[in-house]
Amino acid sequence: MSRFLTQIRLTCRTVIFRNRVDQELDEELEYHLERQMQEGLNTGIAPTEAAPAALRAMGAIAKSKEECRDMRHVNFITDFLQDIRYARRSMRRSPGFACLAILIMALGIGANTAVFSVVNAVLLKPLSYRDPDRIVTLAGSSTTGGKSGARSKQVSLPDFQDWHDQSSSFEAMAYYVLRETSVMVGSAAEYAQVTLVSPEFLRVFAIEPLIGRSFSSDELGPGGSGAVMISHAYWQSHFGGNPSALGQAVRIYGRPLPIAGVLPPGFSFPSKTDIWYPNNRAATEPRAADNYLVAARLKSGIAIEQARTEMTSIAQRLEQQYPQTNEGQGTALTRMRDEMVGDVRLTLYLLLGAVSVVLLIACANTATLLLGKATARTCEVALRVALGASRRRIVRQLITESSLLAFLAGGLGLLLAYWGSQALVVLAPANLPRITDVGIDRWVLAFTLGISMGTSLLFGLVPALYASKVDLNDALKQGTRSVIGGGLARMRGMLVVAEIALAVVLLSGAGLLLKSFAALQNVALGYRPENVLVMKATVPGLFTPEQAQRSNQFFKDTLAQIAALPGVLAAGATMAPPGEVGSRGGYFIDHMPAQPDGKEPEAVKSIVAPRTFAALGIPVRSGRDFRDSDSHDAPFTAVINEALVRQAFAGQNPIGRSIFCPFDTSVAMTIIGVVGDVHQYGPARDPMPECYMPYQQHQYNGNTLSIVARTAADPTALAETVRRLARERAPEVPMKFTTMEAKLSENVAVPRFRSLLFGLFAVLAVCLAMAGVYGVTAYAVGQRSTEIGLRMALGASTGSVFRLVLRQGLVFAVLGLALGSVASIAGTQLLTTMLFQVQPNDPLVYLFVAVLLGAVTLAASYIPALRASRIDPVTTLRQG
Amino acid sequence: MVSKPTDLVQGTVDLLILKIVALEPMHGWAIANRIRQMSSEVLQVGQSALYPALHKLEQQGWIEAEWKISDTNRRAKYYSLTRAGRKALTDEAANWERLSGAISAIVRTA
Repeated sequence: MSRFLTQIRLTCRTVIFRNRVDQELDEELEYHLERQMQEGLNTGIAPTEAAPAALRAMGAIAKSKEECRDMRHVNFITDFLQDIRYARRSMRRSPGFACLAILIMALGIGANTAVFSVVNAVLLKPLSYRDPDRIVTLAGSSTTGGKSGARSKQVSLPDFQDWHDQSSSFEAMAYYVLRETSVMVGSAAEYAQVTLVSPEFLRVFAIEPLIGRSFSSDELGPGGSGAVMISHAYWQSHFGGNPSALGQAVRIYGRPLPIAGVLPPGFSFPSKTDIWYPNNRAATEPRAADNYLVAARLKSGIAIEQARTEMTSIAQRLEQQYPQTNEGQGTALTRMRDEMVGDVRLTLYLLLGAVSVVLLIACANTATLLLGKATARTCEVALRVALGASRRRIVRQLITESSLLAFLAGGLGLLLAYWGSQALVVLAPANLPRITDVGIDRWVLAFTLGISMGTSLLFGLVPALYASKVDLNDALKQGTRSVIGGGLARMRGMLVVAEIALAVVLLSGAGLLLKSFAALQNVALGYRPENVLVMKATVPGLFTPEQAQRSNQFFKDTLAQIAALPGVLAAGATMAPPGEVGSRGGYFIDHMPAQPDGKEPEAVKSIVAPRTFAALGIPVRSGRDFRDSDSHDAPFTAVINEALVRQAFAGQNPIGRSIFCPFDTSVAMTIIGVVGDVHQYGPARDPMPECYMPYQQHQYNGNTLSIVARTAADPTALAETVRRLARERAPEVPMKFTTMEAKLSENVAVPRFRSLLFGLFAVLAVCLAMAGVYGVTAYAVGQRSTEIGLRMALGASTGSVFRLVLRQGLVFAVLGLALGSVASIAGTQLLTTMLFQVQPNDPLVYLFVAVLLGAVTLAASYIPALRASRIDPVTTLRQG
Repeated sequence: MVSKPTDLVQGTVDLLILKIVALEPMHGWAIANRIRQMSSEVLQVGQSALYPALHKLEQQGWIEAEWKISDTNRRAKYYSLTRAGRKALTDEAANWERLSGAISAIVRTA
């Protein structure tokens, strides 16, 4: 190792103190010469003869000096520095070319680096926990392969307890469940992300409180006093980072809990948790109540497969022991990182693929530029070869030039990537895991350096090899009057065709995604999202009848107040605004069996206030909306949607019939109205049957509702007034404002992100390809000006010359389109899962791509064609 | 990295240099002289072979150089063996023993 360091140190010394190293070599040999002379004198040679004799004895000093320099890599380094100097000079000679090439490559490298920085942060970086590879998630899964067997991914308390007690692969195993809920710190109520955890939760992540202490056994136990941990961020924002926060109480669900500790900065699992508190409920839960997520830490040295085997056998035991609930129920073990990035992985890798295609096009573009330069430099290269430069030396020099170009482009690209990655963070869906970690770190730097060097070879090698193959005689004979070389022209043509083909691939991908996104936007939502203010509010407290009454009163009063505000057209409230689902389950028409068999049809269940349909713009098809008179002591009523009518009342009138929706009560409800369908799970999924129930008759689930208010103008203007009114009446109620439009756009954030970026890359690709076509055609016209002049002198019309050039562009377009279409048909298969109502081989998209690229290619060759047709034969022939 | 046995001449010069500077730090002239003396004038290493070899060995990290005042009161570059060089010397010497033994065996029987 130290030897290796010595070598590096010596090489560095050679680079930095080149002159000194040379000097020392001289001095060393001089000393040798001196001693040789001295020896001569000692043996009796005449003083005048001593020096020549010594020199004779030593032989060729210059040659051995050169060898010594080789040994020290001096020559290699000086050659390199010379090449760099030469490259700099040649760049300065043609600054336009250098700027263009650097800019093109910087765009390509910058875009790639920016996307990579996101991929790096979201997918590649290890989780910032200790031994992140040992942290896994456990979930329920179906052993039959199909979806039907499994209950859900979540786990019930009794199952968890058995997994925990019977397994030996884990150092710690914990369950958790995250809720956004009302928290009071001091006198202010607000929403916080609160996670209920089991005792070993912190041990799964191997973390200790930054300040304070862990939960005591009394706080952890069932029926215990309880306590909370808060996140570092919450500590900063709510307690100013003051250690006196320890011991202060926060109220959750009306229960005061003291702060036991603050967790280290950066830890906020799951999602963006502010507060963790242990589960103290003594009550047992049924084995089928799947309410929890499970994380565990593998014992060191235990492979994930081992743990899987163990968990499978435990699940099989439970299947036999509890066939009623656990039949077909298995377990799935996943590394936490894989679990976190599950959905976005494909999107991100796809984007990385798309942006690397842009880089390939940029490389091809730069290669054509360099090839153009190589022709112009034939003479210079020939001269250097004639003066004794070896072919290797020439290639090396040209490669150094393109490396310098790539290096500068890489630097500029890094700058672009810095802004680009910030833009990506803004554009990215907000729920992308770890998106806030995006930045330029050493891996991103290494990536940039790698692709810079890689691309320099990609675009530099072909021109360099070509240039070095120059035929000395031909080149020197022709001097500056070169006729465009057939091989070179073909090479440039091939590169342009490749550029067009790659652009076709990107453009078809973008076209498909955009068409799919448009289809998503055009889905008839079943409600009108514009100008609707959404205010989520939670009346805190335990689930008691008095509490339910209080919640009900709060919403009733607030709704009355909001409805009276100027500019409010209608105001209602709902448990789950469109795009969310609060609850779903089986329903029964007319009568309910004593023992449901679990095979009944399912409907979404929602609790709403009167006038909610009007506020959301959901049309009432028949019957009526709820009224304030549908109160707790009035007969129970329900409103159903058309999908439910289609499912359960084919050809019958549902009004007046009874429906049972076991929710908080199982009483019969009279259907009083039918409303239009809403896409409950967002536009990408079809509407489900839905049963609406009035909030006054289902008060137990009425402590958290979203008030929806349709306004005449901008709904956000209303938010402050509503907040003030609600605060005045009930300061303990936290509120959160948004609009229906904002919620909708969150719903389609991922498709929007990928179609936007894909579209952006496609535009970039088309621009680069267009520049390539233009460059090659313009260059060819320049090279052939003599020939064209001659043709015109011999009687060719301007029109025929114009068509001659345009035809070349057309050939590029046709070849590129043909190749690109074949590649797209294969490549766009990757998009299948991301497309909505669009097939990967949508003919319309391909037609559009073909027409667009054909037009663009012709446009790009139009100006050179025009220039060619205006060539003055007299001038060109005289010049020639 | 031990030089290839086939690279006989170059390898031999390297081995001789390593062996000589193992005794004490020495400058180039003295190394050449010592080789001559120790081989009873049989082996003569000229500067054209000596200095490239010295610079190569230094670059490889087997010997290190230091400027010192010589016995003739002039600045001279003294080479000495590094720890890596000592290991290389053992390897090279063993290699040489093996090789020369093998060659002798063939020469004698023939």
